[in-house]
Amino acid sequence: MSEHSHSPAWRAQPLGRRGFLRVSAASAATVALVAATGCDTSTPTPELPDPHLLPLPADDNGLFYQTYLLALAKSTLYQKVVETPPADLTAPERALFLNMYDHEVAYRELLRYYLDPALTAQLFPTDFAFNLSSFTLSTRAGLLAAAQKLEDLAAAFYPVIIPLFSSAASYQRQLLLKASSVQARHAAVVRDLLVPGSFANDDVVDAAGQLLPKTPVEVNAALAPFFAPYVISVASLPVPVV
Amino acid sequence: MKLISLLDHLAATPPAGGAAPRRALLQQLGRAAVAALPLGLGAALPAAAETKDTSLDAVSQLLLLERLVSAFYTRALAVNGLIPAAQAPDFQRILRHQNQHVALLTQALQDGGAILPPMPAFDFSGQRNVAANPVLFPNVLSVYDDFLALAQQLEDLSVRLYKGQVFNIAYDAKLYKAALRIHAVEAEHSAHVRGLRRSRGATVKNWPSSTDAAIARPAGAQALATAATGGEENLLHERLAGATVPFPTILNVFRLTFVSDESIAEAFDEPISSAAAQAALSLFF
Repeated sequence: MSEHSHSPAWRAQPLGRRGFLRVSAASAATVALVAATGCDTSTPTPELPDPHLLPLPADDNGLFYQTYLLALAKSTLYQKVVETPPADLTAPERALFLNMYDHEVAYRELLRYYLDPALTAQLFPTDFAFNLSSFTLSTRAGLLAAAQKLEDLAAAFYPVIIPLFSSAASYQRQLLLKASSVQARHAAVVRDLLVPGSFANDDVVDAAGQLLPKTPVEVNAALAPFFAPYVISVASLPVPVV
Repeated sequence: MKLISLLDHLAATPPAGGAAPRRALLQQLGRAAVAALPLGLGAALPAAAETKDTSLDAVSQLLLLERLVSAFYTRALAVNGLIPAAQAPDFQRILRHQNQHVALLTQALQDGGAILPPMPAFDFSGQRNVAANPVLFPNVLSVYDDFLALAQQLEDLSVRLYKGQVFNIAYDAKLYKAALRIHAVEAEHSAHVRGLRRSRGATVKNWPSSTDAAIARPAGAQALATAATGGEENLLHERLAGATVPFPTILNVFRLTFVSDESIAEAFDEPISSAAAQAALSLFF
């Protein structure tokens, strides 16, 4: 039984967060109504935000949302590869992508579960998607370039966000730590497919033998073109001290 | 704001039974969740790396690991013809990273005022520097495939030990973040070595999988296999104390997206306890 199921209007909302704002506004109004001695008819009408602006919530949920978006991006790409692989992708390589697709679906649905354990809310507008059209997915080289971009991002992102979770999310943090090394494994596999021996190369590892980090703001900027016309804002997310 | 919708919301809210209905609801939910668990599941949860190690224990053990792996690659690269010329740069890069990790952990201990542990006399045969002991790891410094098999196990062990110890050093924000980023580099090493083995005919994926062929070793070497990949088939991941993430529900029923147990287990690398790691590390000195 989740709180929002009291409101039939909730499920019709295209965006969970917008629904959240509405219910929050309702709660605020409830307080106002209870406090007031008379019936106040001048309830302010909130200004509707830009319909394409999707601000991620603060704190742990904001981090879950952004991690969800990375899994959404990769699972969208790999689903396409599984369904219509480039002609020059070998059978063993296709098997690798099928495995990575499975992993990404597991991450995506895990994060979806963290955000909405009832699995009923619509997290994003129905036409929100990771757009693949700027990639060349008809060739092995084009696919690997796209995959490397996303895998390098995810591998660099997880080590940055794990310290940002609150103590309330310690179990989720532990499971994302378990996923973080598999993100790095994906990155190494894709790098080695594109350029043999380019795993953990100097463009992604610093002079101390540590993977170069990517912050939520950097990851958001890298993904932004693929979510147009929607604009994700990570302004409320915790900021890492790198 | 729509007044009707607000009234809907209020009408649908369960009548307040006490002073803190929301808290009571949460408590009820908690009880329901526990009741929904299959009997005995709580007891079957894997003992994750809930170590009681201090930060000094954690850093010291990671230093021992990095020294071991560094010594292994140093010796292997010194053996003429062991590593094919095409792969020598790969292992030179891996060795460079391990040496950088040794330097970082050494510095951390020194900065903390700790006395550096003495450098062990590493013996990669598994004889622990006693000629009468049986050889546990034959040919690892003379036959490339045997070298790769041990390299894979040591890299997997590295991933899992960092994963198990990293929260024990969270007191030091800088070292904590460094360890998380090193953990990722170790995973890239492991994935690469696993790929090299597959290219030479071994049945092995780039991530620990139930379909990987076991690396045959004498019984005395079991501690290494346990530390490297033992428990990787785990499907029970906690979402709360005593309750697990319902992967079958979230993946296969509600979402109509079939993902096999094998793939779910592959998607999550497991941590190891310091005791399991120490049992494996102790085979080499």
